[in-house]
Formats: sequence, structure tokens, C-alpha cells
Amino acid sequence: MKITRTKAFKVFSNPIWERNPISGQILGICSALAVTVQLKTAIVMGLALTFVLACSNLSISLMRKLIPRNIRIIVELTIIATLVIFADQVLKAFLYDISKQLSVFVGLIITNCIILARAETYALGNPPLLSLLDGIGNGLGYSQILITVAVLRELLGAGKLFGFQVIPNFFYAAGYENMGFMVLAPGAFIAIGFIVWLQKTVSKE
Amino acid sequence: MSSHIKSILFAVVLSIVCGSLLTLASTGLREYQLKNIALDKQKNILKSIGLIEDKKAPSLKTVSGLYADYIKEMWIDFQGKLVPKEKKGENDLPVYFYVKQEKIQAYIIPVHSRGLWGKIAGYLAIKNDGTTISGFTVYSHQETPGLGGEIEKDWFQKNFAGKKILDDKGNFVSITIAKGAVQGRIPTSKHKNFVDGISGASMTGKFLSAGLKRTLIEYEPLSERFRKNEIK
Repeated sequence: MKITRTKAFKVFSNPIWERNPISGQILGICSALAVTVQLKTAIVMGLALTFVLACSNLSISLMRKLIPRNIRIIVELTIIATLVIFADQVLKAFLYDISKQLSVFVGLIITNCIILARAETYALGNPPLLSLLDGIGNGLGYSQILITVAVLRELLGAGKLFGFQVIPNFFYAAGYENMGFMVLAPGAFIAIGFIVWLQKTVSKE
Repeated sequence: MSSHIKSILFAVVLSIVCGSLLTLASTGLREYQLKNIALDKQKNILKSIGLIEDKKAPSLKTVSGLYADYIKEMWIDFQGKLVPKEKKGENDLPVYFYVKQEKIQAYIIPVHSRGLWGKIAGYLAIKNDGTTISGFTVYSHQETPGLGGEIEKDWFQKNFAGKKILDDKGNFVSITIAKGAVQGRIPTSKHKNFVDGISGASMTGKFLSAGLKRTLIEYEPLSERFRKNEIK
């Protein structure tokens, strides 16, 4: 059997494009608007969410037969909150500048609906390995959209990528101007809208 | 009944496990975090006098190197007299001097102000004439991102450079954040005592103006001595 046909591969790859949490299920929009002004913050945010999602899926799936049904949401949130605070502490210790830019949004991963959605609908009913793959897949799907939006916004809004000037100066001399609109939140809305549109059109076939 | 006990037991065990994991992480990483905070402080002091720019992220070595070369930490008493760090009293205030070519170019005072949602902390640098602001930075605040949170942005802080804390007659008036743009709202003769405010964040501006005024009054004895050229 080819690797692309296995269930594990499908679990991993589906959320990256086909059932993408942002463009397919319209989850986690808040942070996608907030942290995508610059590519650097978007990447770190994507990594942080992928880490939290993979770990929460794995640990919840490992405990899925132990967790009492009547308090399962509380249990899930406790685990997620622990992981998020841990990620936040690590960022503060090693990537201080970026953690200052991300400000409240790392903490807000706790309320990011993607994580609770995956814990509820997937990790509670599936074995650990598949849940881990599902978590990484969804995290990468989220990061992928974040990075695409951030590239669009930083390039069009500031003419830069990773903080380095990309659009050459003679463009500006010839009358080109940065699109200030892309730096603002509505710019991200429109960019995400285009991605959703593109995704729906392509995956229909 | 037994299912209830099981739920409670599970919750208790989970809380203990999660709690201890977080305690471990927090104590283990504290040293690194404190180092970052100290460095960030130095960076902000350097930024307020324009030695480093926000755009280019300087390496850690440049920051501590520049800081060691140019910045001198001192304390002042209520009369504005300088007190060495070892002899500082309880009510003495910290101040940082920007020393270049053996001469004090500017003095930097820490600003702690109330904000709308929490404390605002930053640095205000004043040139050695004791009147002209050379820069202002904010390194910690809890204001709403996009509204009051703009106080940490370059465009807002740049407005402070070149403004004065004295009016035309030489009286102390502090520096005030206007409600909106200064142009058209404030009489031209007072332009130098006002900076552009942030639309949608009048409260943040109000609190920060009050905080700046209070701080400047505390440091007025020192500013006075700079104006009289008593400190070089």
C-alpha cells in the first residue's frame, strides 16, 4: 500500500488543505487577523499553536478512556491551558521580542476554537498516534494560512519580508506606494476571504 | 455516587500534575526571563536617546556594549543632588545619564504611570538643557492593542522628540498628550508642549499625561539644576 493511501497520512494531510481549520472550517480567525502583519510573528504563532495542538491531542487521546465524561470539557481546557502557559513561558525566556509582539495572543491560544474542536471531535475518540498526526496536520494547516496571509500583508503593506526590504527602491521612485490598508485588520479579512474562495473553488473538483 | 467521586479525584490529580508542571517550567525559566527583561530595559533606555533604532533589531552584544559605554546609573535626592548608588536613601529617585565625551548629553528618567487597564512603564529622555525632550519609550503596558496600545509604537513616541516641558515664559508646564492631532486643536504658541494623541484612546492619553506630569514634577529639582548649568 502506498503511504499516501494510509489512514494516518490522510489524517495528517487532510487538514492542511482539504479540511483546513481556517479556510475550510472558518475556525481561529481572531488570531489569524491579529498576528499576520509580519511574517515572523505569524511563523512563531503557527509553531506555538502546532505545538499546543499536537501535545493536547496526544495527551487527551492517551487519557481518553480515563477522562470522566461529565467533566471532559474542563479537563480538556486544563490541559490546553497548561500547555499554552508553558509555551508562553518558553517564548518569554528565549524569544522575548517576538513574545512582546504577540502579546495577549499566545495566551488566547487557550480559547482558540481549533484546539478544543480537535480535542472534542478527534482526540477523545481516536488512538494517540492518529490524534498526534491530526494535531500536527491541523497546526500546519493553520500555520500555512497564517504564513500566506502574513506574506501578502507584509509584502503589500510594508514592502518587506521578515523585516527586510523586498520591493526595490526604484519601484517607489516610479510612484509605487505601500498599501496601508493591508496592515490593518480588514486587510487580513479580505486576504482570508480570497483564500477561502480559492480553496472552495479548487477543492470542489 | 462513585462516578462523582471518580470525577472529583480525576480533577484533583489533573490539577496537581498540571500545577506542578507549570511551577517547574516557571522556576526553571525565570532566570532567562529576568535576563531578557533587564536587557529590554537597557534597550529602551538606549532607544529613548536615539542610540538604537526600533527598526533594526540590535544584537544582544551591541545593546549591553552601548549601555556600558554611554549610560551611567545614578540616584538623586529631593533637592536634585546626585547620590551614588551605594549611598542612596529610601526616597531617592533613579536617573540615567547619557554620557558622551565626558559630558552629560541627556538624562533619562523612568516613567511609571497609570493607564486605562493597568500600569504603563517607560523612559523619558531630556537633553542637558533641562527643557527639551529627546525621546520617549514605553516598554510595558496593558492598553488595548490597536487603540491605547499604540503608545508603544514608533509614530507615537517619535512625536515627543524636540518638544519642551517649559512654556514660552520658562514656566514648567509638563508635556501633554492632546485629544487627537495637535494641529488645529491647540494654539500654535503651545504646540511645543503637546504631542498628537491617539484617536480612540483619549483615556490612555489622559492617564499618561498625568503620569508624565507627576514624574516630571518629581524630577523638577534635577531639571532645574540642568537649566542653571550646574551639572555637566
